[in-house]
Parts: sequence; C-alpha cells; structure tokens
Amino acid sequence: MPHFNLSVIAANLPQIGAGFITTLGMWLASVLLGAVIGLVAALLQQIGGRGARAVIRVYIELFRGTPFLVQLFLLYYGGPSFGLTLTPVMAGVVSLALYGGAYFAEVFRGGFASVPRGHVEAAACLGLSRWQVICRIQLPQMLALILPALSNLTIVLSKETAVLSVVTVPELTFVLTGIGSATFAYVQTLLVLCVCYLALVELATYAGNWAETRVSRFLA
Amino acid sequence: MFSLAAFCDALPLLLRASVMTLVVSAAGLLIGFFVALLVCAARLSTKRAWRIAGTVYVRVFRGVPLLVQLLLVYYLLPFVGINAPPLVAAISAVSLCAAAYVAEILRGGFVTLPPGQSEAAVMLGLSPMDRLWRVQIPQVMRSTLPSLVNEMVLLIKASSLISVVGVAEVTRTAQNIAAGTYQPFEAYVAAGLIYFVICGALALFAHSAERRLAAA
Amino acid sequence: MIKTRDVIDPPAAKAHSAAPADVRAQPLIEVKGLFKRFGHTDILRGIDLSIAKSEVVCIIGPSGSGKSTLLRCIAGLETYDHGDVRIESELLGYVDRGGRRTRASTSELNRVRRNVGMVFQQFNLWPHMTVIGNVREALLRVRGMPNDKATAQAGRMLDMVGLSGKADAYPSKLSGGQQQRVAIARALAMEPHIMLFDEPTSALDPELVGEVLQVMKQLARDGMTMAVVTHEMGFAAQMADTVAFIDQGRIAVSGSPQHVFRRSENPRLKQFLQNYLDRNAFWSSDAREA
Repeated sequence: MPHFNLSVIAANLPQIGAGFITTLGMWLASVLLGAVIGLVAALLQQIGGRGARAVIRVYIELFRGTPFLVQLFLLYYGGPSFGLTLTPVMAGVVSLALYGGAYFAEVFRGGFASVPRGHVEAAACLGLSRWQVICRIQLPQMLALILPALSNLTIVLSKETAVLSVVTVPELTFVLTGIGSATFAYVQTLLVLCVCYLALVELATYAGNWAETRVSRFLA
Repeated sequence: MFSLAAFCDALPLLLRASVMTLVVSAAGLLIGFFVALLVCAARLSTKRAWRIAGTVYVRVFRGVPLLVQLLLVYYLLPFVGINAPPLVAAISAVSLCAAAYVAEILRGGFVTLPPGQSEAAVMLGLSPMDRLWRVQIPQVMRSTLPSLVNEMVLLIKASSLISVVGVAEVTRTAQNIAAGTYQPFEAYVAAGLIYFVICGALALFAHSAERRLAAA
Repeated sequence: MIKTRDVIDPPAAKAHSAAPADVRAQPLIEVKGLFKRFGHTDILRGIDLSIAKSEVVCIIGPSGSGKSTLLRCIAGLETYDHGDVRIESELLGYVDRGGRRTRASTSELNRVRRNVGMVFQQFNLWPHMTVIGNVREALLRVRGMPNDKATAQAGRMLDMVGLSGKADAYPSKLSGGQQQRVAIARALAMEPHIMLFDEPTSALDPELVGEVLQVMKQLARDGMTMAVVTHEMGFAAQMADTVAFIDQGRIAVSGSPQHVFRRSENPRLKQFLQNYLDRNAFWSSDAREA
C-alpha cells in the first residue's frame, strides 16, 4: 500500500478553507433562492390562471425530469449562444437555484394539498379572501407537515454543490481534487473530501431534526 | 439562434449513447439491490453490531455526494492494484450508492408491514424462514415496487455524472458533440430531451404500478 | 368454572356439552394468578380462569379492561410477568427448573401452543395468496403435507365455512365477513384443540356479523373448546358455558350467561350492560329489562 499521509492537506489548509466557504455559500444561495422560486411557483399554481399553471407545470417537469449536470452545462456552455455569458459561480448559483426551485415547488404543492379541504372551505364561507386563506390558514398548517421534506431537500442540495466542480466553481470538491491531481495524492484528498461532506450532512440532519421537534412542540 | 439541424444531427448519436446510460443504471440497480438486501438485513438484525454496521453504511453512502464516491472508486481501484476500465468503477460506485437508498426503501417496506400478518403466521406454526419468504418478502416487494421504480429514475439522472470519468453515455457524448460542432446548446437540449423521455416513461410505469397495487 | 348451561334464548344443543367437574380431565387451558405490567400500567392484575374441553368461554368487558391482552397471553403472543398459563397442562412461555423460572425458547413456546388456533379482529389474511392458498399454507409448510392432500383438506375447511366457491379468489375481493370466515377455516385446517377469537366481529359491518357468528355457533355445537373476546352479547347468551366480565385487569364476575346477564349485582357490570342495551335496544322495554 503506497504511502498515506495527510501532509498534503495540512499544506493547503487555507485553500481548502476557502473552498469550504464557497461550498457553504453556493449551498445557502441555492437553498434560499430555490425556496423563493419554489414558493412563488407553488403560489402561482394555487391562484394563477390555466396558462400560468401550465407554464409552472412544464418548468417543474423539465427541471425534475433531467439531470442537474445537463442543466448546468446547458446554462454555462449553451448560454453564450444566446448572449448569456455567466461566470462559473453565477451559472452554478442560478442553475442550482432553478433545479432546487422545481423540487421546492413540488414540496410546497404537496403542502397545500395536505391541508384539509374543509378548512379552506370553512374559511371561504366566513368571507376570507384567497390571499388571507393562503397566509392565515394554509401556510401555517403546511409548515409542520412539509418541514421534513424541506430539510431533506436542503441536504440533497448540499451534496449537489459538488457537481459544480465540473464547471470549475472553486468549491470544496474542485479544490481538493485539484490538490489531489497536482500532488498525485488522489485517495487521501478524496477521503478527506468524503469526511467533509459527511460532517456537513450529519450536521444538517441534526439541525433539521432539531427544527422538526421544535416546530412540532410549538404546534402540539 | 437555435439550429434545428444541429439538434437533429445530435439525436441519433445520443440515442445510441442512451443504451449505455440504461445499462449502467440497470446494472447499478440490480447489483445495488442485492447489496441492499444484505444492508437491510443488517439494519433489522437483532444483533447490535450488525445494526450499527448497516446504519453506518447507509449514512456514509447517503451522506457523500455520488460524484465524490465515483471519483474515489475511480482512483481507489488502481491505488489497491486493480486495473479496470472506467465503466467498472462507474458501475461499482453507482451500485454501492444505490444500495444505501434501496436498503432504506426495503426497510420501510418491512417496518410498515402490519404485524398481524406475521402473528397469523406464528399462530399457524410457520417457521421464521417460511414467515420471511412466504409472507413478508412477497408483500414487501409489492409495496415497495413504486419506490424502486422511482429509484431507477433517480439512477438514470445520476448516471449523467459518470461522464466525468469518461464513460461514453448520453452526457459525455453530448459534451463530445458540443466540442466538435461548437453547438453546445443544441447538443445539451437533445441530451436533456432524451433523459426527459426515458425518465417520463419510467415515471408513468411507476404510476400505473402504484395504481394497480392500490386496487389489489 | 363450570356451571350448568342456562340460556336466555332457545337452547342450541351441543354435540358434547361441557362435562361435569368430577368426570372431566384436566382443563385444556388453565390460567392462575396472571399478572402483566406494561410500562407503568398493570394491565392484568391476577386473572384466574380455566377452560375445560368443549367449553365455550366468552370474555366481555369495557375497552382497556385487558380482555384482549388476556387472550393474547393465552396465545403466547404476549409475555406475562407473574402467574401460570398452562395449555393442556404444559406451562406456556416459561420453563420451571427446580423452582427457578426461565423464559422459554421460541421452539418450546411453539411446541406448547401447537394445538391452539387463533382468529384475529383484523382477519390477517395474506393478500398475495388466494383463499385456498391461505388455508393450505400451514398444512404445506408446517405439516409437510403433499400439495394434493393439503388442497383437499383446505377445500373441506372452506366447505365448512360455506366458501368453497371462493377458493381461487384473492382476499381483497371478498367482503369482511367472508374474509373472517376464511380466517376461521385457515385456523381450523390445522385441527387445533382450542380456538381463540379476539373480537372476531368488531371490524365488520353490522350486516356481515351474522355469517361469522353462524360459523362460530356451529363450531361450538360440534364441541370445539373456544375462548372468545367479544361484544356480541347475543352470541354469549346463546352459546357460552361461561361468561367472564373483566374490569380493570381482574375478572369481576363470572358464571353462566343467566347469572352474569340477569342476576349479578356488580355495579360496574350493570353499568356496562346498560351501556350496551342503550346502544342496541330496539324497544324501550328491552332497555328496562336489564
């Protein structure tokens, strides 16, 4: 077994740290942006006309039915054909946000559907407007129900940031695989990479569970 | 603007490459299924050591991105002296990753099986082996079928990542076409369309399977 | 607990009535001082019950009283903490070695309860097998019968419960009453000495209850030893040799149906029966009769 040491890691710690920050940044940006896109899409589905609903449906089906890598390539490599030249980071954030947005939209749609129809009907009979029904009746009840799905989606997106390395976004995977190929210490760097993601995902899972118990206790 | 000619030229090449996509995904699911049986058995075992081992497997293979797992297997094989083509690394990585997800699907199936089913078997004197193979497994297979088909859809999309280690499936072929024709947009739209059609067909199959199961 | 059979309704003669105390052999089921705790709650607090050959015992009581738990302890599906459960004189669930008691192994447990059959509230038919498949499964796997013999025996059982026409159907296509009758046939196929029924009609639509009770009545008439947890007081009045009223983990009243339903002064039993009549009486005169 060839020599296995972690000196390569120690020597490049600042670079790795920067990569980690970038990963966190991409993750945060795509989750927030994606959630907003998803919520807007779901709301449009609820109150929009047939045309809007059809457009949203097409968006969701397309972005959930194709691989993220292809969407990323389409935006980053295909964009310039239409005058849309984005930096890797910009392309990464936009692409991941659009991808996540489709999944967020489905989660929110499921949330709306899970609120009992009777609650909505009762509110309508009492004279509440569509917006009031959504904000005062549906969204609060939805939240506890969809929280597990939301936290799961957040974790999925954290892992998806690794794919951004393929278009040279300087996040963790890009940095560590770069070090690996420069020093030929492939296995060491990849194992460290695994450990980093494992730590990130485990932390995110605990945070999600904590949030779920907090919310359920608040509502119970 | 959008060149229909470039799009149409790309399609046949990508269709041929889709065979590789399907082969890798199917092989990944099949091998992953058998590994998943072992992992699921470990997770449901009465012995604590097995349960911990199973849980660790699932947590690790679901916690690390598939791309990283793929690269690790790709570089690990020569590191330990195995010289295999990239396809082997690709299928291995995809199988090991899929196994973690399938194990959880199967475990869910076992856990949601009504206990009364097994109790009736116990009262009739059926042995644990007979209970497992005649009563529990047939029902778990039926109830998890939609989730397993859904997992296949996820695998087909995930298989796009194996382009990174050079396997000539749809995404890699699209990259080659884009590099050759300088028409990246048309190439990737064509690739996206092919994935969309394959995944859509499978999703419809999952829907009808689910409906037939609910009716039964 | 053998009493002479008084019945409220016209008597349904049994082929072998429960034998008088001095002639009978050891009781088939003997429960002494049964005690079971679940977490912080005592579910069973000292149950004494014995069931002789061909005796029909109906166990009634409010929900949460422990009646299903009692039956499941007799079936060996639940463990108990103190006391004795003996099936045909053999201790169930434990092994007594020179004064010390250890938990019995699964094979020992299975051996002791091999002649006990059970019918569940939720039927628990296996949905991926046909009706005849369900009934013959144990004959094939446990008795090791060849397929033709097992199928013939299963067919006879289905005949007995009146469902031979449904042999090749799947359980999901049958009504609740039909499914429960198949479940009874499945248990009977193994030729048990004792049949346990855990609220067999509670999950059924009212109009389907009768067909299941009909099968159970015939079983009783043919001399089967039965322990039935039920809310069907009519069945208990007609067919039971003994009715046991369980309340808060103890048998509060037990005796002949006549004694339990008409003559007992126990206030909780009277309340329980009044509640039942309030829900089920057609005419006001029935309500006043209790």
